[in-house]
Amino acid sequence: MQRRRSLPDVLAGGVFAVIGGVFVVGSLGYDRGTPLRMGPGYFPLLVGAIVAVLGLAILVKGLLAGSDLPFEAVPWRAVVLVTVAVVFFGVFVRVLGFVPTSFVTALLTAFASRRVRPLTALAVAAGLTMAATLVFIVGLQLRLPLWGW
Amino acid sequence: MGTRRPRILAALAAVSLAAACSPGDDGGDGGATGYPEQNITIVVPFSAGGPTDTVTRMIADPMAAALGGKIVVQNVEGAGGTVAAGQVARAEPDGYTVLMHHIGMSTAPALYKDLGYQPLEDFATIGLVTEVPMTVVARPGFPPATLADLTAYVKANQDKVTLANAGRGAASHLCGLLFQSAAGVELQEVPYQGTGPALTDLVGGQVDVMCDQTTNTSGQITAGKIKAYAVTTPERVASLPDVPTTTEAGMPQLQVSVWHGLYVPAGTPPEIVQKLSGALQKALADQAVIDQMAELGTAPVTAADATPEAHRAQLEEQIQTWGKVIADAGVQAS
Amino acid sequence: MELFDNLVLGFSTALLLQNVLYCFVGVLLGTAVGVLPGIGPTATVAMLLPITFAFEPVTALIMLAGIYYGAQYGGSTTAILINLPGESSAAVTALDGHEMARQGRAGPALAAAAIGSFVAGTVATVVLAVAAPPLAAVALAFGPADYFALVLFGLVVSISLARGSPLKALAMVALGILLGTVGQDIYTGTPRFVLGQRELYGGIDFVSVAVGMFGIAEILRNLENEHDRPALLGRVTHLWPTREDRRRIVGPILRGTGLGAALGVLPGGGHVLSSFTSYAVEKRISKRRDEFGHGAIEGVAGPESANNAAAQTSFIPLLTLGLPAHPVMALMVGAFIVHGITPGPNVINDEPELVWGLIASMWIGNVLLVLLNLPLIGMWVRLLRIPYQVLFPMIVLFAVIGTYSLGFNAYDVYAIAFFGLLGYVLIKCGCEPAPLLLGFVLGPLLEENLRRALIISRGDPTVFLTRPISAGLLLLTATALIVVALPAIRRRRETVFTEDD
Repeated sequence: MQRRRSLPDVLAGGVFAVIGGVFVVGSLGYDRGTPLRMGPGYFPLLVGAIVAVLGLAILVKGLLAGSDLPFEAVPWRAVVLVTVAVVFFGVFVRVLGFVPTSFVTALLTAFASRRVRPLTALAVAAGLTMAATLVFIVGLQLRLPLWGW
Repeated sequence: MGTRRPRILAALAAVSLAAACSPGDDGGDGGATGYPEQNITIVVPFSAGGPTDTVTRMIADPMAAALGGKIVVQNVEGAGGTVAAGQVARAEPDGYTVLMHHIGMSTAPALYKDLGYQPLEDFATIGLVTEVPMTVVARPGFPPATLADLTAYVKANQDKVTLANAGRGAASHLCGLLFQSAAGVELQEVPYQGTGPALTDLVGGQVDVMCDQTTNTSGQITAGKIKAYAVTTPERVASLPDVPTTTEAGMPQLQVSVWHGLYVPAGTPPEIVQKLSGALQKALADQAVIDQMAELGTAPVTAADATPEAHRAQLEEQIQTWGKVIADAGVQAS
Repeated sequence: MELFDNLVLGFSTALLLQNVLYCFVGVLLGTAVGVLPGIGPTATVAMLLPITFAFEPVTALIMLAGIYYGAQYGGSTTAILINLPGESSAAVTALDGHEMARQGRAGPALAAAAIGSFVAGTVATVVLAVAAPPLAAVALAFGPADYFALVLFGLVVSISLARGSPLKALAMVALGILLGTVGQDIYTGTPRFVLGQRELYGGIDFVSVAVGMFGIAEILRNLENEHDRPALLGRVTHLWPTREDRRRIVGPILRGTGLGAALGVLPGGGHVLSSFTSYAVEKRISKRRDEFGHGAIEGVAGPESANNAAAQTSFIPLLTLGLPAHPVMALMVGAFIVHGITPGPNVINDEPELVWGLIASMWIGNVLLVLLNLPLIGMWVRLLRIPYQVLFPMIVLFAVIGTYSLGFNAYDVYAIAFFGLLGYVLIKCGCEPAPLLLGFVLGPLLEENLRRALIISRGDPTVFLTRPISAGLLLLTATALIVVALPAIRRRRETVFTEDD
């Protein structure tokens, strides 16, 4: 087999190895018990180790004989804006109320597209906020303050 | 606030349906004069469909009618009810956020460290709601015939008998602890994720013994799918007339019921607490509620117990009792 | 004949005007909440329960059941259209269903799902009527060791869900299991990996994982090259399945129905296992294995039939034993109680009208679902013409609100962001999200039953081999593993599964 490095394989392997490793380290703090009387730490330790080993295997394979995947440019603007929009909702919905939070979340998300015009984004956000209010608050009677106080 | 701004937004979106037509949900002034001026939320710390949830939904409508408002039931699950209790403890003390909790309110301080709230200091009690009896039950075909036989049997077979429960801090777990201490044994505990799966395995004969609320067990008992040894209350239960009490069966130490009560955050105006307590008493006197509870094998508490004072006394006493039982058993969740 | 009498009794109850009406209301509401990401049938049933207190008991249960299977149905609509599975079982439908939608074949995909669900619903109703008591006995015979073996088998089979490298699929399954360990350990109460946050004690919500891994990650992928795809759907070739399509879905529908009806009886993971076992079976036996993952209609018809059949047979433990197999069933137990019926094994004898009426209503509900959804296919497909600049903020906003409304827990929302980023990176690197999702759903069951089996057996590991059900399933698992691992077979796999794009 021809030697070729593959960025996606190395990256994926790295992600698995790191997450598996973090869980392995974390589970060392819990009681392990014995194989036949497992404590809370046994199962995560085992599975974490499996994930880490599989990750390393994927990484090594990626260095020697990786798969040939197209790797397009990361849309950083979208990644950042969508993440911020989602987290914003979680942090502020209780503080600012349903309507303002939904509006900001929708607006931030709408701007994730590079091709959107500011006015369109505002209109989309306003329309979606209305729709969400109708569906969730009026229709489904969700118990959330509409406006912060 | 909040009645003008939705209109501006509506105009912006050129849609005429203003958010103002949705249930009003502003902060509220906290005064008792017009209470309730908006929807009251009762937070249930367990999943929808469980016994606590069922009891809450039974009393919500009659209470709302008595108060002249609307009550919404909201399930906030997690960590044996402590997530919901913590949330309500931190809520505005305006009477619009109410907590329904059961016996777990009194066991949490012993079961969890760093609870984040004090049951006696961070809450005002409204009143007790119901006390659900518990039953000591076993899989079909389990050899012992009576509670006395059971005690002897588990003593002789400590390392073989399995005791199911619905998870740490669940009523079935607490009752199981009491049973073990009353019988002087240490059984192999098998926790489940909730009562449903635990009961399924008991009916299927995968585990031996369990102690759970009549709410869950009475149907299976009357159908003869599981064996019942005793009910854990001073009186027999109407829906299970043939099952003796623990006192009759020779284990008077095993007295436990899953009592439920309503709470509001500490600092709620006393007039509002009184209003809620009055509404609770009215709801508990409602014939439909009495009938529905009878189906569960339980009954509303007396009007005297549906008061802030009786509830608080019960809470104080139970925190003491369970603190000791749990410490003796050496159990701590976190 | 007793069965005949029972069915007559059932249909005479279910066909009463108010029962048909509320059955319709139920399936309509169910479809609506199934289509909305986040909001699921459990929340809806919980919300509507008090309203049904005023109804006749049978009417109330008919409506609540309608919401449940209606939502299963609606969930697959969003899975196909916008790659957002609302229920765990719909994750499999998204694999080929969404691929079909991207190829302009959303109509046939939705139709295949509708027809498959209807056939499965009809057959499952008959199964429910004929075989409920013996099937309930099977469910009771399943002990923890058997569950462990079943789940393990399911996880090994799930590797075949991926079209890419089996190694990556295996890593995704394992990662899913690992993430499923977050939260309080039910055996000791120890909070694991909760970062000191009490909100995480209950673990990570499935909906957050599904919305993040499928919804958000897909949106980020689409935003990589916006110029190519102004709207999600450029062209719609057919609205209805072609004759070729119709021929291809017959087998999968029948096999899926059988699998679903059998596995649905098992409490817990039954209906999740059924949809992807069906997918795996179809992929194994298909002559066009390479089409799977690229829009094979069999990959929609089979799992959808399995899922719907399972949704119906999952009522068997409830109706014959009084034991709920799903949170929605637990709520229905609450409805029984409120109406003065003690749930338990006696219900079927004491309240024949109620049980048979409910069973008959499920068939009527399935007819209503088809009548409701087939004409709607045109409308759903038009939904795809919404400009992407409007559609993706809508998906994000509705998904976030819906997820938050599940438990008013901000951590469920943060989890969406986390899984969105994780999913984006992993999918970009050639890992498919479906195996991770299944590992996440089944992982806790695996650990729970492994440990429970060992506690009950007093630490005797032979319990897995001495119980016939468990031993048989483990043998199957080993066979499946060998098939995946054998180098000779793997070489053939690689030629079949290599990405051609």
